[in-house]
Amino acid sequence: MHPGPFRYHRAASLEEAAVMLQQLGEDARPLAGGQSLVPLMKLRLAGPTDLVDLAFVPGLSYVRHEDDGGEIRFGALTRHAEIADSGAAARFPILHDCAAGIGDVQVRNRGTIGGSVAEADPSGDWAPVLLTHVTEIRCVGPGGERTVALRDFILDAYTTALGPGELVREIVMRAPPHEDGERIGGAYIAAKRCAQVYATASAAVRLTLAGDVCRDVAIYLGAVALTPVEVTAAAEALRGRALTRETIEAAADAARSGGDPQPDMRGSAEYKCALATALVKRAIEIAARRARGEQVEVSHEYA
Amino acid sequence: MTEEQKTVAKSPGSNRWVGQSVARKEEARLLRGQGKFVDDYRLQGTLHVKFVRSAYAHARIASIDVEQARNAPGVAVVLTGAEVAKLVQPFIEIGPDPGGKILDYPMAVDKVHFQGEPVAAVVAESIEAAEDAAELARVDYESLPAVVDAEEALTDGSVLHPSSGTNLVWQGEFEYGDVDGAFSKAAHVIEIDRLHFHRFSSTPLENNVVIAQWDASDNQIYFWCNNSFPAFAIQFLSPALGVGIDQIHFQSHDIGGSFGIKITNYPYMAVCALASRACGGRPVKWVETRTEHMTASAHGNERTFRDTRVALDGDGVITAIESRHIDDCGAYPRYEPLGCIIWAQVLPGAYRVQNMRIHFSQAVTNKCPVGPNRGYSRMQHLWFLERVIDICGHRLGIPADEMRLRNYIKSSEMPYTTPNGCVYDSGDYAAMQRIAKDLIGWDEWQSKIAEARRQGRLIGIGIGTTLDSGTNNFGQSQIINPRAPYSGQSEGANVKLDIYGEIVVSIGSVPQGQGHETTAAQVVADVLNVHPDMVKVRPGFDTDRNVHTGHSGTYASQFAVTGLSAVHGAAAKLKSELSRLASFALGANEDDLEFGVGTQGPEVKDNKSGKSINYWGLANLVNVNNAGLPPDLDVTLNCRYVYRAPFKVPDIQRKYGNLTLTYAAQLHIAVIEIDRETYIPKILGYVAVDDCGRVVNPAIVRGQVFGATAHGIGAALYEDCRYDEAGNLLASTFSDYIPITALNMPRIRYGHLESPSPFSYNGAKGMGEGGAAPVHTVCAALQDALWSSGVIVKDSHNTADSVFRALSTLGLDRGQGLGARD
Repeated sequence: MHPGPFRYHRAASLEEAAVMLQQLGEDARPLAGGQSLVPLMKLRLAGPTDLVDLAFVPGLSYVRHEDDGGEIRFGALTRHAEIADSGAAARFPILHDCAAGIGDVQVRNRGTIGGSVAEADPSGDWAPVLLTHVTEIRCVGPGGERTVALRDFILDAYTTALGPGELVREIVMRAPPHEDGERIGGAYIAAKRCAQVYATASAAVRLTLAGDVCRDVAIYLGAVALTPVEVTAAAEALRGRALTRETIEAAADAARSGGDPQPDMRGSAEYKCALATALVKRAIEIAARRARGEQVEVSHEYA
Repeated sequence: MTEEQKTVAKSPGSNRWVGQSVARKEEARLLRGQGKFVDDYRLQGTLHVKFVRSAYAHARIASIDVEQARNAPGVAVVLTGAEVAKLVQPFIEIGPDPGGKILDYPMAVDKVHFQGEPVAAVVAESIEAAEDAAELARVDYESLPAVVDAEEALTDGSVLHPSSGTNLVWQGEFEYGDVDGAFSKAAHVIEIDRLHFHRFSSTPLENNVVIAQWDASDNQIYFWCNNSFPAFAIQFLSPALGVGIDQIHFQSHDIGGSFGIKITNYPYMAVCALASRACGGRPVKWVETRTEHMTASAHGNERTFRDTRVALDGDGVITAIESRHIDDCGAYPRYEPLGCIIWAQVLPGAYRVQNMRIHFSQAVTNKCPVGPNRGYSRMQHLWFLERVIDICGHRLGIPADEMRLRNYIKSSEMPYTTPNGCVYDSGDYAAMQRIAKDLIGWDEWQSKIAEARRQGRLIGIGIGTTLDSGTNNFGQSQIINPRAPYSGQSEGANVKLDIYGEIVVSIGSVPQGQGHETTAAQVVADVLNVHPDMVKVRPGFDTDRNVHTGHSGTYASQFAVTGLSAVHGAAAKLKSELSRLASFALGANEDDLEFGVGTQGPEVKDNKSGKSINYWGLANLVNVNNAGLPPDLDVTLNCRYVYRAPFKVPDIQRKYGNLTLTYAAQLHIAVIEIDRETYIPKILGYVAVDDCGRVVNPAIVRGQVFGATAHGIGAALYEDCRYDEAGNLLASTFSDYIPITALNMPRIRYGHLESPSPFSYNGAKGMGEGGAAPVHTVCAALQDALWSSGVIVKDSHNTADSVFRALSTLGLDRGQGLGARD
């Protein structure tokens, strides 16, 4: 790979990195796992003057999971592969669905959750998954720390609320509020033409079941718009209703018009909408089975 | 052949090693990362090239400013296309006018004709410096209308090459038998308005790489390059560069796959050579990036089949086919228009149809030039025939297996002469079908499919029968251009005893992973009755070994015939010399001599006296200890043999003659289910049955069958070099091209049949291209799954998206691949 010339810096702490990035100017870029930035540099589609490598900042790679199940904290530099193997992923299968299906083994061993969220690629896997839960991004910048809700963090394609020099420190995901006896289940399915490429479409579903009734639900689509799309119409079709074939199909059908996909080599816009519908249906079914305590292994659809 | 050689050729010694899965000699270095690929050569003072390439598909170069690039740090020279054009003659065009008038220079001169065409070459001390400087080149383009469809190109609305004045490269009528008579007597006539074979490529692990060094002191050009048909490349380069062909030296060692695509990398060889000369003879290296490879190396031929009419009798036997085929060769013909005849090697495919009328034409378009992609030109035609068989079978309600059985050429008819004079050497397609049906469990699937369909599932089973014609007769080029100076087919090999008695083999072939070192050693081991480990086969190709012929290379499924026949002939010559020499040394009668391995290695033994002499002793006698050798004992122990395939020049007027020596066959069966919600086609079962005559090394054959199967499944379902209307390639990286990976591969069940070829000394047939069997097979299974929904599979490339569009009302209007059944 032959990128254009750039200066390489190694930060000892996130605070130092933030200062460096601010001082080096807007053509400086932070380097986490490099799974988006490095290919762009290789193709000379990105030409940063400076790279500030975060890989040597200590203490940013962890998955902390309180036993009461309420909260999971991801260090920004936690690799996808570590998340896939974590106890949190065993407890919340939707995390495993996502982490274990990102790219291929090499990508999962290098790529980080913080980098993925900060990149805000329209086809990224993490954002739709995290959005189905209550997720906050803890940021650190030249002006100090702040916490931004993920739904306010992603502003547009490749655009986040991060200010100049600002970096992601931690991602905090919480289960939505629920009563005792209510059970939560989630699932994420992406359809990808092959392992290494971004999804053609993806669907993330989180259900809160009270008995057979869907008390609360969040449904997000990935890769079919500039940002992850919450399909509230699909959620409304389920909320407060028993999960039956009819209600699930109604919800899936409502998801059809949720996205605004662009045609490309992955598929036509019409197909992506149809695909999203199918994925929503499957994700609801799996999330429901998981909420009922079933172990369900999910594999992405490869085609 | 002399009488003596014939005798030797009839006594091939033992047959212990040919036919065994001897472990590949190449593996030891390749698995240890010790292979030597062109990029591994680090020559002193090497300069590096970065090409500035066109972002436009069709444009006039208004101005080009490379001054800043020339002055950038580390830059040695910058060559523009216009500057290069002054230094070279345009490359030879194989075809006659009008295509013959096309001016093909190594880089774009005043116009660009496809996205990615090089317009300037920046040569610098490092590749990084070259890339940095290349970004400083300023090229102003005036955009011209792009033509991306071959049929549209033939209207000449926007002409690519003013020198020829038309986008038509070549056209001809191929008519055999009594087509009109057959149609007048037909019980059924079935029409198919349009079929389309898509553009895809090969994705060799190693991209194109060139190192060139033009040594001014003796005006010699040295190339290290992974071109897979160097004997041909140097015939293009010699007149273009204005040097004698013997002044061009070409060497390769290991090559990471070619699949034919690397045959046409010679324009880049020319640029590197010119850059070397401009830099005082320093070596100049170009290592293609993957995006460059996807954009501007070579793609496979795209072909459209128009106005097809099929005549059948009351039993579903096809009696005539007429059709119009339009081939798209991209921006420059290069190896074309040979593809305009090569398909005719398999004119009727595996079928007995006698009456055929095909109008064939080829057009240039504003897309990457094509190269002979694995299954070259034949697979497009074989796919066409398989679609015809399936569509006719479905229309008449005849099952796919039965439809084929009624139309197959029978094994009892072999050798079979096709309507255009090709001779199918051997084969038993019906038997292959039986083997494949057993392996997949045809009958069980029939009931499972019927049950699944009752549940509303879209599931189908399909057969693809295809041929891999190998060892081509270059005389077919004269059907394209009567003045073409090519015919026949040959390969050279040398087998010698080195001074210390080692057996050393050199071949004119250009291995790219096919295990030539191993199979050549097996052949020599059998001739001399030694172990293959005792046979050293030189890796790669080298003009300076002086064994090659003008046909040398690795292409057209022929090594098992041409390469191994040459090796066998050379080994037999050596054996004959050794026999004469040993008879002198041992004072023995030649009839009493036995070749084998003794306690001191390979030896020749006199069975009468029990005395023996080993190879060291024999080599020593000739090379360094030769006082006292009788003058009439004329041996060198350095034996070159050229195998010439038994061909005649075809009848040019009638387009009639034997175009290929051997016909390997593939019969595949696939079961595919289309998910009713995601529309993703999933292969539930897959069988590949191969018949390549006598198998020299079963493990190598099996490996090539699996590789070709993966390539074909990739082509059918994933790989697509699609362009938009402006001529932008939409699949310039693997993210969009989707080369097949292990995750997308189904499990393959493998079966085989051996129908020895009567035309090769060893009964082997060339193999490795696989005839794109999976493309036919996947389409057949999809067709079976979709027939009842009213969809006809009209494209060789089908994805979840195209199935979706075909099945939805929207798709019936706009679908580009599948189409509604009328």
